[in-house]
Amino acid sequence: MSCVPESVTGHVDGALDDAARARVEEHLSSCPSCRAQADAETELRQRLRALPAPEPRPGFEARVRTRLRRRPALVRWGRVLLPLAAALVGVAFWLRGSPALVARELAFDHSRCFAMRPLPAVSVGHEGASIASWLESRGTRVPRVPSRADGLQLQGARYCELLDGSAVAHVYYVGSQHQASLFVLPRGLRMGATLEIDAGGQHVRLLSLPGQTLGVVGADLADVRALSDELLRRSARGFAPRE
Amino acid sequence: MDRDEHFTAEALPQFRALYATALRLTRNAHEAEDLVQETFLRAYRGFDRFTPGTNVRAWLYTILHRVRADTFRRAGRSPIESELLGEGPALPPIQDQLGAELDLERALGRVPEVFREAVILRDIAELSYEQIAQVLEIPIGTVMSRIHRGRALLREVLGGKKR
Repeated sequence: MSCVPESVTGHVDGALDDAARARVEEHLSSCPSCRAQADAETELRQRLRALPAPEPRPGFEARVRTRLRRRPALVRWGRVLLPLAAALVGVAFWLRGSPALVARELAFDHSRCFAMRPLPAVSVGHEGASIASWLESRGTRVPRVPSRADGLQLQGARYCELLDGSAVAHVYYVGSQHQASLFVLPRGLRMGATLEIDAGGQHVRLLSLPGQTLGVVGADLADVRALSDELLRRSARGFAPRE
Repeated sequence: MDRDEHFTAEALPQFRALYATALRLTRNAHEAEDLVQETFLRAYRGFDRFTPGTNVRAWLYTILHRVRADTFRRAGRSPIESELLGEGPALPPIQDQLGAELDLERALGRVPEVFREAVILRDIAELSYEQIAQVLEIPIGTVMSRIHRGRALLREVLGGKKR
């Protein structure tokens, strides 16, 4: 075996496997140069190991300990705040699915839109098919939108924003005495097929359809029921055909 | 024992050993203090990732090595790489007759950091080759060659004198 100085280093450190160690030992027995290297490295190791550790300057360790103690406060707060934030997010998601909260939001939006003059419809029209087509071009599929229901006449539609930032399609109906709204929410709620709630001085009827929820809102319960019954009849026949 | 107590019991006893290594690497008390302080702050932040029962010293040295590497990166210099490219700078033997320990410390300081670090981790911190490989994130064969080269350079600086 020819000289392999690195293996001699590994041998001095006891880092070789059995086969390599046997080969190096055999070589050392016949190679004064490698033996000298091994002896020199062994001696150097002993000297290095015996070196006294340089002492840090007075006060340094205490300063670092103080900084470490300051951090825990932050981390402890983080440990409290992070789960709290997670819980709040959870509550927010839970509330998003709450029919009572959504009903209140829809009632509020209904009142706000109908308080505006003129009505803030972006797509104006009296034909259900054209409003449905306008909504569908913006990604909202709705059951055939009725042009009329009882004494209500379709006026137009726009998108309104809910508290959580999500956009809902808002379709406006006006009758001789009252107004009514149809909302299309792109998500389900924790409820059965239908639910009637009085919220914000309005009657709200929520209709659960696959993948979406319809909300009908109005001050007159008969109007709300007439419009929602019409919608249920139409949804049983399926969604409006794509244009 | 809560997390803070656990950290105090496990990591802080290594403070002086870490400082000694940091000073031998940086050869500057201020830099060594910065290096050790940042190492312990990072160690504290990441203490959840430390596996109890494993070698806390090797774990701390790993962090120290990364902090040092980050310092080089931020400064836009990489002596480690430049030292690796060639044979390293010429190292004239120390001629003055200082005490043997001081002589050895000074000689160690003249070995390029990439080899010096390997020698320190092996011969002073007494880590195994496997632990050094983990700390420096290099293969075990490279650990052996760096230690070999570091000791050879150290002997060269010491002038081959037997002490």
